[in-house]
Amino acid sequence: MFGGLHSPRPLPSPQALLELGRAFTPRLEARSGTLVLLDLSGLGRTFRDPEALGRALLEAARARRIEANVALAFTRTAALVLARARNGLTVVPAGGEAAALAPLPLELLDVEEDRLTLFHRWGLRRIGDLAALPPLGLAERLGPEGDRLLRLARGEDREPFVPAAPPESFHARLELDWAVDGLEPLAFLLSRVLEPLVLALDTRGRKAQALTLELTLANGRAHRRTLRVAAPTGDARTWRTLLLLDLEARSPGDAVTALAVTAEPTPAREVQFSLLDPAQPSPEKLAETLARLATLTAEGRCGAASLLDTHRPGAFVLGTFAPGPFRPAKPGSADGTATPASRAALRAFRPPLRAEVSLAKGAPVFVSAPGLRGAVADRAGPWRASGDWWEAAWAREEWDVLVAGRLLRLVRDRLNEEWTIDGEID
Amino acid sequence: MSALPAVSPSLPVVDPTPADPFTPPPLSPLPVDPAVVAPSPIATKVALEGLLKARRLQTEAPPLRGEARATPLPTGLRDIDGLLRGGFPRGQMSEVHGPASSGRTGLLLSAMAQATRAGELVAWVDPGDRFDPASAAGAGADLERLLWLRGRRGLEAEARALAEATSSLATLLGSGLFAVLVLDLAGFGERELRRLPATTWIRLQRTVAPKHSALVLIADAHVAMSPLGAVLALRPQGPRFSGAPGPGRLLTGLSAFAEAGPYARRHATFALQTV
Repeated sequence: MFGGLHSPRPLPSPQALLELGRAFTPRLEARSGTLVLLDLSGLGRTFRDPEALGRALLEAARARRIEANVALAFTRTAALVLARARNGLTVVPAGGEAAALAPLPLELLDVEEDRLTLFHRWGLRRIGDLAALPPLGLAERLGPEGDRLLRLARGEDREPFVPAAPPESFHARLELDWAVDGLEPLAFLLSRVLEPLVLALDTRGRKAQALTLELTLANGRAHRRTLRVAAPTGDARTWRTLLLLDLEARSPGDAVTALAVTAEPTPAREVQFSLLDPAQPSPEKLAETLARLATLTAEGRCGAASLLDTHRPGAFVLGTFAPGPFRPAKPGSADGTATPASRAALRAFRPPLRAEVSLAKGAPVFVSAPGLRGAVADRAGPWRASGDWWEAAWAREEWDVLVAGRLLRLVRDRLNEEWTIDGEID
Repeated sequence: MSALPAVSPSLPVVDPTPADPFTPPPLSPLPVDPAVVAPSPIATKVALEGLLKARRLQTEAPPLRGEARATPLPTGLRDIDGLLRGGFPRGQMSEVHGPASSGRTGLLLSAMAQATRAGELVAWVDPGDRFDPASAAGAGADLERLLWLRGRRGLEAEARALAEATSSLATLLGSGLFAVLVLDLAGFGERELRRLPATTWIRLQRTVAPKHSALVLIADAHVAMSPLGAVLALRPQGPRFSGAPGPGRLLTGLSAFAEAGPYARRHATFALQTV
């Protein structure tokens, strides 16, 4: 049996009707803010007849200060239409749906405006008028739509019931009887909070891509940290380690009186593993290693570099180290034909070394910089490059010079007429 | 007083005189491929004793039946791989040292490129902040699979950079996720390196030993003095240019001389390109 709940007046909150319905059944469908459909099957053991169930629904609505109409029927269409059409409680016996709907105006059906105008032109005013039309004739004039409307008018269901999923909230909180100081006791408490949370995530087929820890401190303040991992994980041990490492790096500063953890859920990871490619690192282990590194290194000094789309030398950003699945280069592809030739590398000076350069016929002959001084034994260049003239313009002239056995990348800034050593070639 | 028993002629006679520390030991014979020639038990014994004497038993002895020996990590430079007998050994700390412009960084980037092309993860621990991502990409390394740890900047940076680098390196080694780890100490003077605890290199060697990773140090001079792993000493042989001095001349590459093994008995010359 299905129940339609409709409120003709504005509700105290948009979720009020849904909450009322959830007090009776977890299977419900929100049709609009003021109309909710309940699947009441199985409630026969609690209520002796549909009337008793309907009265209980009305009483519960009244207790919540909701003015609601309740219609109980064996089809969803009938329950929804009657809940909107009749005040108070309406109970339709099995097989009586068409008869119950027949005297109601056509406007109550879920019909488009132009169809309604057409039916009015045909002289149809009541739902029963539409239900009495010959199916074949209606199908000839309106196509498949005719069959749908006819079933609707007879109170029959065509579409499946789609229950609304309850809101997902992955939150756990633990109030402590006395304040706890130090990481070791907190580690045990975190396990107590995280394990049921991870279990709840796992039950729903979810992983956590971020976790927010909120510690209520003895001084009344709150210590709030959000950790986000590159690959979602549902492993309580990994999250506990990450949280502890974060707390170690950024101490709350006082004893803890309560802790709350909120997970940001995401669907479980789907990876197609290969039998032939090398094993990929466990995301949990990688996240743990990176968290340990974060406590040892300065912020923003550890990660994977990616080059920027510019000709400006040395342009890169350091992002999160999150290697994707390995894709071996195909034998025919541009990067898979052969191993690239081994190249000498630049060892950069950051910031570049300011240099004093003596010139002869426009070419550098002597270089003097902090920790480096000597005549230029050999040179290549100059090579000029410029760019970004539309914002922060740069223009440079590069020389590769051999000074005291070291191959240096000497650069003249053509805008400021300054010489620097960008690095040494090694 | 009973007479001493006569030495059995079947037992090898042990030389009682200690080895002269200033004389390099003779080169041990290369491991024999059992598929080609079945060695006699005496030859095997001599070979193993030679390796034991040269402290290379663990790295160069032929694998036992059923023993899964980790393959070394190739550098991608044929001559250097030949010198290292396949590449940098896994589970050991190796060293590449030499002055500036001797091709240390280019050689290691080439090894990184080989590893990332095979799907491995690699890490570059860089206390001096000298790493150039564009050079790594140019060498063929997949930057997405290369973790870069940059040293701190600031006044107190130098004092802390080396200590942080070795601690971070131990963390990375402990994870066992990375196939090649490079600790770039080039540019750090002897005084700065002496500030590190004396046990640093032993600790790192012990951390890497049970792992599948190859740890390589880059330095200006021999630093770790580890008895295990490969040691490659580089000497620059000078740059190569595209033509006669004048405008538009290109630096096409550099060549270097490499020596490997104890007492630098094996050597090769290699070249790196710049264009």
